[in-house]
Amino acid sequence: MTRSRSFGLGLALALVTFSCAKRGDSGVDEQVTTLGTIEVTAKLVEIRDPFPPNDLYNYAYVLKYKVLAVDRGKVDGDEILVAHYNPLKPRSSAQDEFSGKVGGRLDRFRAGDVHRMALEAPLDNFWMGGVVDKYFDQKGVRYWAVWTNLKTD
Amino acid sequence: MSATTFGILCGVLALGATIPGDARVARLAKEVRAKGWIVYSARTERGDWDLFLMRPDGSEQRNISTTPAFSELGGRFSPDGKKLLYRRIPKNSRINHDVWGAMGELIVANADGTGATVYGNAGEFPWASWSPDGKQLACLTKTGIEMCDFATKKVLRKLDRKGIYQQLFWSPDGQWLTGTANHYGESWTVVRMNASTGEVNPLAKFQNCTPDWSPDSKRLIYSSRPAHQEEPDGGKLARSVGQSPGYGWTQLWIVDGDGRRNSLVYGEDSRHIYGGALSPDGRYVVFTRSSVDGGLGIGDKGAPMALMRLEDAPTIGGESKALRKLFPHTKDGPVLPLPDGWEPHWTYAAVQEKK
Repeated sequence: MTRSRSFGLGLALALVTFSCAKRGDSGVDEQVTTLGTIEVTAKLVEIRDPFPPNDLYNYAYVLKYKVLAVDRGKVDGDEILVAHYNPLKPRSSAQDEFSGKVGGRLDRFRAGDVHRMALEAPLDNFWMGGVVDKYFDQKGVRYWAVWTNLKTD
Repeated sequence: MSATTFGILCGVLALGATIPGDARVARLAKEVRAKGWIVYSARTERGDWDLFLMRPDGSEQRNISTTPAFSELGGRFSPDGKKLLYRRIPKNSRINHDVWGAMGELIVANADGTGATVYGNAGEFPWASWSPDGKQLACLTKTGIEMCDFATKKVLRKLDRKGIYQQLFWSPDGQWLTGTANHYGESWTVVRMNASTGEVNPLAKFQNCTPDWSPDSKRLIYSSRPAHQEEPDGGKLARSVGQSPGYGWTQLWIVDGDGRRNSLVYGEDSRHIYGGALSPDGRYVVFTRSSVDGGLGIGDKGAPMALMRLEDAPTIGGESKALRKLFPHTKDGPVLPLPDGWEPHWTYAAVQEKK
């Protein structure tokens, strides 16, 4: 076996392993099960508009979710509105000096994905800054996402 | 030619709203010279930020917070002009244009900078703003707007903040609050809040901030970056300061308290105008002209300040082809260049010389 073939095989094996791990991710970790006062498994319904640029200002962006399971605490209804801080960034690097505790293993937001999230509410008690809320005409609680993982199993 | 004269001449040339050597600028300088004091933050040679006092014509500048280990920012005179409120942060902390009111400790000092005492620890009393009688402070916290007794620091009452997230200021008549808010889906909306009922009315939606009151509490001055600004040079100017083409320039506007009538005060394509503060008689306005957005100037070194008569609004600085097309009847009154600074505030009270 040539050196390049063995490298190719190794890479393929690594990719398969990685993709299996992703496919089988329950989204559960120590943070999501302990942070915040609420924990849900929910499907991201839509992303109405592109996220605003974050070169100068960081926003929280409100997204709509369909709740699949309430894992801890209580939420109002089976559709909830959740604000994510600086959604252009992977959750692992979203936290900054202004955000408070924010994180997770989600790299990017895609409509249709299922997220396991640790939440707080109401939003205003946890984030004092710009909020892009395309659902402003809908009454109800805005939740604050503390920890967000992708669930793939 | 003295360094000061040279500096002011350079400023006049840069402003472009006035002809170099314009006698009108000299007249304006003479007119405002004895009209109290302006406090402002500015970067020192040591690299920290200090508070400075100057006459409104830029003369008699003096540093009133020489603390090498700290930066001082956001000075606001008490309504009687005897005291100052400001924030103090460690020297190496970077000032954030949008959250400075919640940064570091709240300091209370005499108007000349003497007697500085820590009023609140780091992060406490965020966005503290004087009540008209100076006996209370309104503070903007995540959980609401708190009115505190100045002497005892006790919270006397609390209002829902209704989406306001920065730049809270109490009106001179005590009946209103203003701030930058998330309002009906729009962030960066300048709002007015009834200080008794907590009711809010929007004044300017979409990309507005840094509101401040007119002395009669009937109008507010604020910064606005309107959408879809024309760029006759195809964005060349924007790119020259690292700004994305299409981003636009921030202008200074004034609006009635009910939000019905607003008008341009000063704009300049190539500058972001922030920190608008009216004189105590409402006749003049001082502001900053930063070539980069965020108000702190290139490299966070402060931006050139400037002063004009409000009766000369709208005035447009520089070539500003696009803006002049939108406002063909600009008055182009004299604009007095002032030193680099940030967040100026004005009092007509006599400020004693620091001994």
